[in-house]
Amino acid sequence: MSDTPGSASTVARAVINKYPKIESKPLDGNKVELVVPIEKIRDVVAMLDEEISDALPESMFGVDLTENKYELIYIFWSHLGKMLIQLRVQLEGETPEIESVADIFPGLEWHERETHELFGIGFKNHPDLRPLLLPEELEGQFPLRKSFKTDRSRMDETGLPKPKPRPAPRGESS
Amino acid sequence: MSPDILDESCVIWFGPQHVSAHGWAAKLTLVGDYIVECDPNAGYFHRSAEKCLEFRNFRQGSMILERICMMEAFLGEYPYIAAVEKIADLEVPERAKIMRTIMMEFNRIHSYQFWFGQFAGELGLFAMLLWPWVDREYSLDAFEQLTGSRHTVSYATPGGVKYDFTPKFLSKMDIALSRCRNRMPLFDDMLAGSPTFRLRAEGVGQYTAKQALKWGLSGPNIKACGIPMDLRKDDPDPNLAYDMIDWEVPTIHNEDHPGECDAFDRLHQRFKEIETSLDIIEKLLPLLPEGPIIDPKARGKANRLPEGEGYGRVEGARGITTVWLKTMEKAQTPWRAKIRGPCFASYYSLKHIVPGARFADFPAIFGSLDPYPGWWDR
Repeated sequence: MSDTPGSASTVARAVINKYPKIESKPLDGNKVELVVPIEKIRDVVAMLDEEISDALPESMFGVDLTENKYELIYIFWSHLGKMLIQLRVQLEGETPEIESVADIFPGLEWHERETHELFGIGFKNHPDLRPLLLPEELEGQFPLRKSFKTDRSRMDETGLPKPKPRPAPRGESS
Repeated sequence: MSPDILDESCVIWFGPQHVSAHGWAAKLTLVGDYIVECDPNAGYFHRSAEKCLEFRNFRQGSMILERICMMEAFLGEYPYIAAVEKIADLEVPERAKIMRTIMMEFNRIHSYQFWFGQFAGELGLFAMLLWPWVDREYSLDAFEQLTGSRHTVSYATPGGVKYDFTPKFLSKMDIALSRCRNRMPLFDDMLAGSPTFRLRAEGVGQYTAKQALKWGLSGPNIKACGIPMDLRKDDPDPNLAYDMIDWEVPTIHNEDHPGECDAFDRLHQRFKEIETSLDIIEKLLPLLPEGPIIDPKARGKANRLPEGEGYGRVEGARGITTVWLKTMEKAQTPWRAKIRGPCFASYYSLKHIVPGARFADFPAIFGSLDPYPGWWDR
């Protein structure tokens, strides 16, 4: 990867110079991943906002790694530099919490709201954490967690009539 | 705003029963006929596509994606396939690359044909609702000829494409495209040439490029501000053919408000997008080489994927459409699939664009952003 101004590695280096705890990992092309500690997320996102004049908050989502481990991934795209910065935050705990960055990038407001309802990850100082997509009865159930069962064990919740038990086989068919 | 004005405010729901609110609802607070607050509500169309993808294998997954937005079914399905190809490290034959790109642009034209009708219909111009939709039928006929399906084409598959172009398809595509090309001046005249239409669209729903970037807008909604942000040029997928030809990203530079765009600019932008798509197809068709359309080993390789993360991105008709996939070792299904729909941002941005507008302008504002509920509900 070249180290010209406007390249992803230059931005990554600037971030690491300021916050040495952050690790970087080059992806293919002009793309870089930064592994950010949970308490530094606001600082790093604010710094990206300053460094990249046309940063587009492309996406933000959670990943459930089971055993109460979660990852949050923030993706920023810059058209001028043709670069992609991916931030990865590792979270732990039953209901982990992280600072909201919706005031720096308003476009992430709904992404955080969605991650909150689907993964149960809290966002401190978020302006509006009402459920976005789910109906009220699924509030607090966090469907995208791996522990959310989608098999027959939850038939009762649907209110549908129970399937009739199959008649016992009567001997051998002729 | 003094609080006593708000005392006289009234709250109305726009949707979900309203005919132009197809699957969404916004809560509007009105003072007189001015909107002071807009609270877009999502969830009416939620079918948990991301959870469903965790139970489908890598050849089935794209079929869920294309049901999210029927208008750009192929553009919606492609990012998933791109992500699978990145993880599995698949090579795609050159013929398939060009065929995918042609189909993608054809699908984009179809999506805009639908949108013209929808936008004009929302503003009360019902002749214009039907005319582009007649042209759209010709595009659908061509899709049907090639894939057997009118909307959900499922044309691409990891490693290539499913069906080869036939002479019958090529002639049907030619009919659809030449009809589209011939009728563009008429539509331009119907919309841009109509003083009534201009009154309703000009100066409505303005935002600056900087605001649009902060909200996450992409595609025609930001190109109308003069920023040539287009993934087809900026970050072309290695398995598509956009870098094989010479083409220009269309943008709008409005002298009256540089760096900003209104509903009319966004309409104009989509006219230019159709022209660009027609141009790309015209340049790509002669380049089509002879050869296989799928890598024969791809089928086996896409059965089980190694551990990895893949990010497939494509410039959809409505903006940046991406799928992020995470797979575990020897995975048959994705561990996590995240769909980034372009309209997620444009629907959210109504919250910022709409306040201050008059109620009658509301359909013009959201219509010009080309929102499709499937993309934010998924």
